[in-house]
Amino acid sequence: MSYLKLAFAALALAGPARAQLKVVTSTTDLADIANQVGGAKVRVSHVSEGYQDPHFAEAKPSFILKMRDADVFAFVGLDLEIGWMPLLVQGARNPKIQMGGSGYLDVSQVISVLDRPSGNVDRSQGDVHPLGNPHYWLDPENGRRIGRLFKKRFSDLDPKNEDYYETNEKAFEAKLNNAERDWQSELRSLKGQPVVAYHTSWKYLAEYTGLNIVGFMEPKPGVPPSPSHLAGLILQMKRTSAKAIIMEPFYNRKDADFVSSKTGAKVVIMPPSVGGLRGKNIDHYIDLMKYDIDLLSNSLK
Amino acid sequence: MYKTVLGAVLIVGITSSLTAQQTRADSIAKARADSIALVRELERMSRDTSRAQAPTGTQQGPTNPRLLPDFSAVGDFVGDLSPNGSTQENLCRFCVREVELAVQAAVDPFFRGDVFLGISDLEKISIEQAFLTTTSLPYGLEVRLGRQLLPMGKINVTHRHDLHTVEYPWIVQKFLGADGMKGTGVYVSKILAPFGFYQELIVTANDRIGEAPEDLVTEEAHNKELGGLAYHARFRNYLDISESSNFELSASALTGKTEQPVDVTTAGLPAGITAVNARQSLIGGDLTFRWRPLEQGLYKSLILQAEFMRQFNERLTSPGFLGPGRDFNGAYTFARWQLTQRLYLGGRYDWVQDPELNGETFTAGSGYLEWFPSEFSKLMVGYERTMPTGLDAVNRVLLQASFALGPHKPHPF
Repeated sequence: MSYLKLAFAALALAGPARAQLKVVTSTTDLADIANQVGGAKVRVSHVSEGYQDPHFAEAKPSFILKMRDADVFAFVGLDLEIGWMPLLVQGARNPKIQMGGSGYLDVSQVISVLDRPSGNVDRSQGDVHPLGNPHYWLDPENGRRIGRLFKKRFSDLDPKNEDYYETNEKAFEAKLNNAERDWQSELRSLKGQPVVAYHTSWKYLAEYTGLNIVGFMEPKPGVPPSPSHLAGLILQMKRTSAKAIIMEPFYNRKDADFVSSKTGAKVVIMPPSVGGLRGKNIDHYIDLMKYDIDLLSNSLK
Repeated sequence: MYKTVLGAVLIVGITSSLTAQQTRADSIAKARADSIALVRELERMSRDTSRAQAPTGTQQGPTNPRLLPDFSAVGDFVGDLSPNGSTQENLCRFCVREVELAVQAAVDPFFRGDVFLGISDLEKISIEQAFLTTTSLPYGLEVRLGRQLLPMGKINVTHRHDLHTVEYPWIVQKFLGADGMKGTGVYVSKILAPFGFYQELIVTANDRIGEAPEDLVTEEAHNKELGGLAYHARFRNYLDISESSNFELSASALTGKTEQPVDVTTAGLPAGITAVNARQSLIGGDLTFRWRPLEQGLYKSLILQAEFMRQFNERLTSPGFLGPGRDFNGAYTFARWQLTQRLYLGGRYDWVQDPELNGETFTAGSGYLEWFPSEFSKLMVGYERTMPTGLDAVNRVLLQASFALGPHKPHPF
């Protein structure tokens, strides 16, 4: 038996040094921040695309292949991925990314969550997220928190490169801080502006920019607009002088166009995630924030 | 916190020592600068994620402190408005076909457990599925122990209430059972990817093929010898064609011994014995194509599916054998097109050599309109025309309403 142990030990010593950390993220936003922090020491892939509704990504077996070798699986959490993630995490058969594993990374753990329901919740309230609103990456402060979380987890798993991750994370924060300074005038122009949002996905952006979301196209989360709801919304928009309807590219804009025709408000198609509009080169998290803030500012002038 | 206090003490100490040597105005300016530095340090620390988790994150405490499993229920209500009377097994016009109760959770760091109980007027309470799944085996292996929907073909692993048609395709109903085939035993699965795409090999050993027939009694149990157990394998191949489209091409096989009837007057068997054990085998192939453009994925999608099965039956030469005297084939094709965010149109064509009609051809064509008010409820209306050879065609009008209570379940893929 001792020979066997020696043989295993020799094999372990003879094995290649640890290469890059393999990181899979549920969204493109997490993927970009993981790349910023991990740099050349990580290999990052993602499941849902930026132009796709992340609630409804599909649990394709090809994603299982990505996840079965992952060292880290980072996800938004708060039930955003509840419709597909369990099938992939279980299907991957990778103990590292199972709940409690070293690579299971629920990013929402470092977020100050909005819209956390109080009291009893049930599905009569629509497709409600009982743990709170999961669209938190659209606030740069949460971008920083995500970056720090990645730095910590990557350093825990790969301690010899801790300084490298620390340097990258600081560089990411510095870039984000500089970008924030650049868009301050746009932010000032947005403060207090009344708008309507299609889904509750823009709450964090509104909190950051000071936008005033006066209504939603969806009567309840996940429920398509009904004629009576739209009639009430039109009145509300006229009363509050809402100038824009902001929505993701993956929603049908027919209803928004109808409301626009009755109110004069602009329909503003905003990418909710990195890569959220094809052909616009929104390849990084900071690009995304800048694009959205510029677009809003120009649309609400 | 310790560093903060230490820093504060040092700053105060340094400041005090300088006081003796500097003018009062200088010392106030210095103390102010140090205080500002200290406040900045505290701000920096408060921003640090590792220290900020507890007060700001969602994990102020576990969301499930009592470690309760997930409880859920699915109700499956069926209406049969066929013009020539109900075509349901118990001839009901409106029936609660089944209520399924599920209890699911991680058992420990090594297993998760899933229990599904079926409650229906016909079967009362039955164990639909109950299995333990490993979660930490190496080499991409997964082992399950217990009862589960047997992956014999593609559609048989879909719960009946989750189908895009009211009932299973006729090859499943005729070859595997009206509500699909379950297997009780050991399931081993391994993911492979030698060619860069997803492949999975599943091998199972089960106590028997399907359910035991109530009216057939054999002299020896079908599983007296290990060769009488039901052995099954499935080989899946899944490939992405593009980000919007993919297909799966898979093959399955099953073999085992099952009870076949005998003529008790000529079989020469002891009194009360009505059947003998004979081998039955199945092979099948299935092809599924899916299209769903990611940007408009809420509103557009297409599924095309086809499945083929061949049932092989051992023809015993013993006296009085009344089992099948031939092998049978069957197939179906199915298509479903998404019309709007909530509305789908589907159609299916079935062709089966019916074992109950000694292999006479049974064909059926059906169409379905499916409406999902939300992810948790479904309403469906279907029309089917069945055309068994030598018998009158039957027109069927079927309704289905199903709903799910409890935690959000993953969408089946």
